[in-house]
Amino acid sequence: MRIERRLRQPWWLTVVVPVLSIAAAFVLSAFVLLLTGHPPLRSFHRLFDAAFTGNGALSETVVSATPLIFTGLAAAVAFRMNLFNIGGEGQLYAGAITGATVGLLLAGSPSPLIFAAMIAAGAAGGALLGAIPGILRAFFSTNEIITSLMLNYIVGLVLEYLIFDSHSYLRDTSGFEASVFPQGKTLPDEAIWSSWTIHGLVLPLGFVLAIAVAGFVWVLYSRTRFGFEVQVIGDSPRAGRYAGMRTRRKIVAVMCLSGAIAGLGGASQTGDFRHQVDPRGLRAANYGYTGIVVAALARYNPFAVVLVALLLGGLQNAGFTLQGADFPAGLVGVMQGLILFCALGGELFVRYRVRFAW
Amino acid sequence: MVNNSLVVVVIASGVLFGTPLLFAALGELLAERSGVLNLGVEGMMLMGAVTGFWAVERIHAARPLVLAAAVGVAALAGTALALIHAFLVITLRANQIVSGLALTIFAGAAGLSSYLGNELHLSGKPARYQFQEIFPKSLQDLPIVGPVIFGQPLLVYASWACVVLIGLYLARTRVGLNVRAVGESPAAADAMGVSVPRYRYAHTLVGGAFAGIGGATFSLSITPQWVDGLTEGAGWIAIALVIFSFWRPTLCLVGAYFFGAFKALPFALQGHGVTVAPELFQTLPYVATIVALVLVSSRATRLRFGAPAALGLPYAREER
Amino acid sequence: MANDHVDFEAAEGEVHALLGENGAGKTTLSNILTGLYRPDEGEIELFGKRIEFNSPRDALDAGVAMVHQHFRLVSPFTVAENLVLGDHRDVGRSFVLRPRAIEARVEELSHRYGLAVAPRARIWQLSVGEQQRVEILKALYQDARILILDEPTAVLTPQEAGALFETIRAMAADGRTIIFISHKLHEVKSVADRVTILRRGRSVATVPAAGATPRSLASLMVGHEIEAGRRQDGGSESGEAVLELEEVWAAGDRGVAALRDVSLTVCAGEIVGVAGVAGNGQRELAETIVGMRPATAGKVRVGGRGVRNGDPRAAIGAGVAYVPEDRLGTGVAPGLSVASNVVLKAYRKPDVSRGPMLRMRHIRELAERVIERYDVRTSGPNVPAWQLSGGNLQKVVLAREFSGEPVALVAAAPTRGLDVAGIETVHSYLRDAAARGVAVLLISEDLDEILMLADRIAVMYEGAIVGERDARVATVEEIGLLMAGGGD
Repeated sequence: MRIERRLRQPWWLTVVVPVLSIAAAFVLSAFVLLLTGHPPLRSFHRLFDAAFTGNGALSETVVSATPLIFTGLAAAVAFRMNLFNIGGEGQLYAGAITGATVGLLLAGSPSPLIFAAMIAAGAAGGALLGAIPGILRAFFSTNEIITSLMLNYIVGLVLEYLIFDSHSYLRDTSGFEASVFPQGKTLPDEAIWSSWTIHGLVLPLGFVLAIAVAGFVWVLYSRTRFGFEVQVIGDSPRAGRYAGMRTRRKIVAVMCLSGAIAGLGGASQTGDFRHQVDPRGLRAANYGYTGIVVAALARYNPFAVVLVALLLGGLQNAGFTLQGADFPAGLVGVMQGLILFCALGGELFVRYRVRFAW
Repeated sequence: MVNNSLVVVVIASGVLFGTPLLFAALGELLAERSGVLNLGVEGMMLMGAVTGFWAVERIHAARPLVLAAAVGVAALAGTALALIHAFLVITLRANQIVSGLALTIFAGAAGLSSYLGNELHLSGKPARYQFQEIFPKSLQDLPIVGPVIFGQPLLVYASWACVVLIGLYLARTRVGLNVRAVGESPAAADAMGVSVPRYRYAHTLVGGAFAGIGGATFSLSITPQWVDGLTEGAGWIAIALVIFSFWRPTLCLVGAYFFGAFKALPFALQGHGVTVAPELFQTLPYVATIVALVLVSSRATRLRFGAPAALGLPYAREER
Repeated sequence: MANDHVDFEAAEGEVHALLGENGAGKTTLSNILTGLYRPDEGEIELFGKRIEFNSPRDALDAGVAMVHQHFRLVSPFTVAENLVLGDHRDVGRSFVLRPRAIEARVEELSHRYGLAVAPRARIWQLSVGEQQRVEILKALYQDARILILDEPTAVLTPQEAGALFETIRAMAADGRTIIFISHKLHEVKSVADRVTILRRGRSVATVPAAGATPRSLASLMVGHEIEAGRRQDGGSESGEAVLELEEVWAAGDRGVAALRDVSLTVCAGEIVGVAGVAGNGQRELAETIVGMRPATAGKVRVGGRGVRNGDPRAAIGAGVAYVPEDRLGTGVAPGLSVASNVVLKAYRKPDVSRGPMLRMRHIRELAERVIERYDVRTSGPNVPAWQLSGGNLQKVVLAREFSGEPVALVAAAPTRGLDVAGIETVHSYLRDAAARGVAVLLISEDLDEILMLADRIAVMYEGAIVGERDARVATVEEIGLLMAGGGD
């Protein structure tokens, strides 16, 4: 078997290969289901129904997809420059915390002001957290994968501490249940983010924001000097330095941007959906890690991220809805992993031509 | 009694808690020495934990045999997962980082290990057989060395043997020399007739086996139950451990116990009546990892102590 | 087609030279002989028996070894470890390494063939010439009967080359066959028994070295008579000092000083050639001038004004253009399109970008103009740069550097790996630049090139400038002596 690098990459390959990978992953998942005694076709049908076609399913999928768009964009933005920001999870938590804090503090103010403030706070929280691995990488050559990952655990624990173990501003201390069932303080009504309903499909503010961010990222990376520098440095840091680019500043900037986007996802979680700081829910959801899967599948293209997020969001949503004795838990992770494996394997065919010598 | 003092308790527990880290780190060290970065360690450990636990529940035989078989099953599970990663990154030349992450997502706490653990109804009960201390009580009661050295389960001693063997393997054998060459300069190794893919496959698979055993240490000795996600990031700490052990097995041991001690500290303090908010304490190993990594990275960039030069890069003979 | 029906044979105990210019097919042929490539057609016979190599291992087992131009050594390993690497011959007997036995054998071989090197030294500690000795020892350790040396003197001083020839003759006297690949005519004459000339992938002739003259060989190599010569024209009138280095010191990658008290001046319209064996600080010199390496002492001035230390953007802004020796890794972002690479440095300029936004159409037009004007062979401006051949890539780099209207140009090994046409192109650019008043600093390992182009020659040895000579009158011997450290 000989493998030759392709000179030209036909555009249709970049679409066909991911689609085929998803199909292949479904086939493999079917095997897994069969092996554990679940009827695959029926399971897939239920999955599809719960994700897209059922009553209100699409709106629920949009809910599940929104954070994935944010974390997917966050990962894509960083990975494009070979910065492997695995910290989207923690950066999202940070944004949820800062967003909630601002939302609670500004109780009584007009809603648009609160929304803007929460958005800003969420982005700031994520950006600050993202800056840490960025600075460590830029100025101390420290591997950003490990540092961003460790921060996930640290922020996750802080998140729990804030609600479960302390008497922080964010904790709901009213009512006699408060000390026994610790919970986050609920946002005041004026801080709950709006949504728009079109033909029965509910589009929350966060979703709209996410689409806007996707567009922004696309313009930034394909049409601006910033994006050009990211491309060069991502391809060859030495060439970037040779061209006079400020590589270290760029590393920090991109990590901050990545963190900010994930932080927006966190603010959206608080403002759109949970209306409080919800450590259990956030930690169980794994938005950050799933976002990386989304970004990789979308080959770091912002618009593809939206599409893939809807797909995986649908899977995620279906997983929650169908959770129970007769629907295997953990199937969602399995399927996501399989999709990713197949996509990775499929990459080979995009970049190389495989010849079999008999 | 000095053996009940905080220091001794922390050290003894530190050794125990550090053992899964040590196994996983040794495995990852072997893979990385051959030039393959495998970020799927957490996933492989979780699979080792769940399959090892399952084996102990399902296999009916004498206790030592069951435990041995369970370790074997766990190793096999880790190897099987590592095979996926190896195939993707060595033969199909996929991006090693994304592939490793995919592995963790696939097999990790919301993936296959959780799937299997729940399907097979493995939660909610302690392991039928566990690894326990093997030395007689009299030895365990010796001051300091008693709990620290003689009070450990078999897996801990096995890990010590592994450290020694792997150290000798890398430094003193011909095959060890070859694998070091593959990781530093695959072109040079290839030109000398060393098969780069074969060495990479072999060491990645063995790395998976070690990770699996590390996971089993949790479910069969430390916890010793199966819970979804019971490794709590140990796999990631193990990866960091490889870096600041400068890819040397003996330093891995020191580092593993250091982190194990951090993990043990909150429990030990609790035993002494000191309560600090557990969450904040639990951040300590992760914070320590970051700090240690920063300290080491500015030195590690110096070629002498650094990573295998070809780590993370696919090797293709034609593309030279 | 890299090799087109090449017939080649060599006898036992013979030194057989393979002569040809860059791109003629010498490296491909030797890669086939050592098992790295498989021939599409044809056969190989070794000691009268037909043989097929499926991998480097097969070739090594058959006794064929090669010393490559880019050494295949493992840098952190010791000499002894490199020799023992992959040695399967006694794997049954010694799974464990036996350092003392290995060292003894290394000493024995060293003595026999005049290849002095310390078995316990680590490769990164050795000079390039010493590393080459390790490569040869590797082949001898595996008891190779056939050794292929690929351009071995490229990294040696003239005196070291002489020592190498002695070693080659000793090995041949032992009955080994040496295949010596080169494009240097006088070397081939002095060491070979027979010469085979390759041109454009075909073998053109095989002649005994004794009867041939450099001229006859050259014409066979190129297909027509050529005149190699010195810089004939009087050179343009040199103007004021443009590029000045004042007592510059800089540290190398391993912390040791790579530049020691370097002072150098290049005037407008002048070509100053920096000669020296690779590894004596040339790379660090170029990097320090253009800001990619911070100087630890001293000053770099352009046009009389100091340039901010360690800042490539400052050097670019001062008008210093740089053609790096690492074309694909530094000079060009290989995964990006040709168009992107054309504007790699210019993207901040007002005609290429408006504020933060790039003017995409303008960039494409710019790239198309460059491609046309400099005759870059490519299917379009959006082709990724790695697809371009070395010569075409260099054209893009040169085009880009000149479009910035520099006052000084630092060119490091600009013709490495290029074929004759490519080399000609680069030489004519450099001459043009000097004619237009640019101060050109040419750093090259090819002494012939420097003698052809430079007005003045500065020789580097161990990080210092050990001598400067007028290129029109300097002799090769003189320069060679300086290159080897026999200073002023």
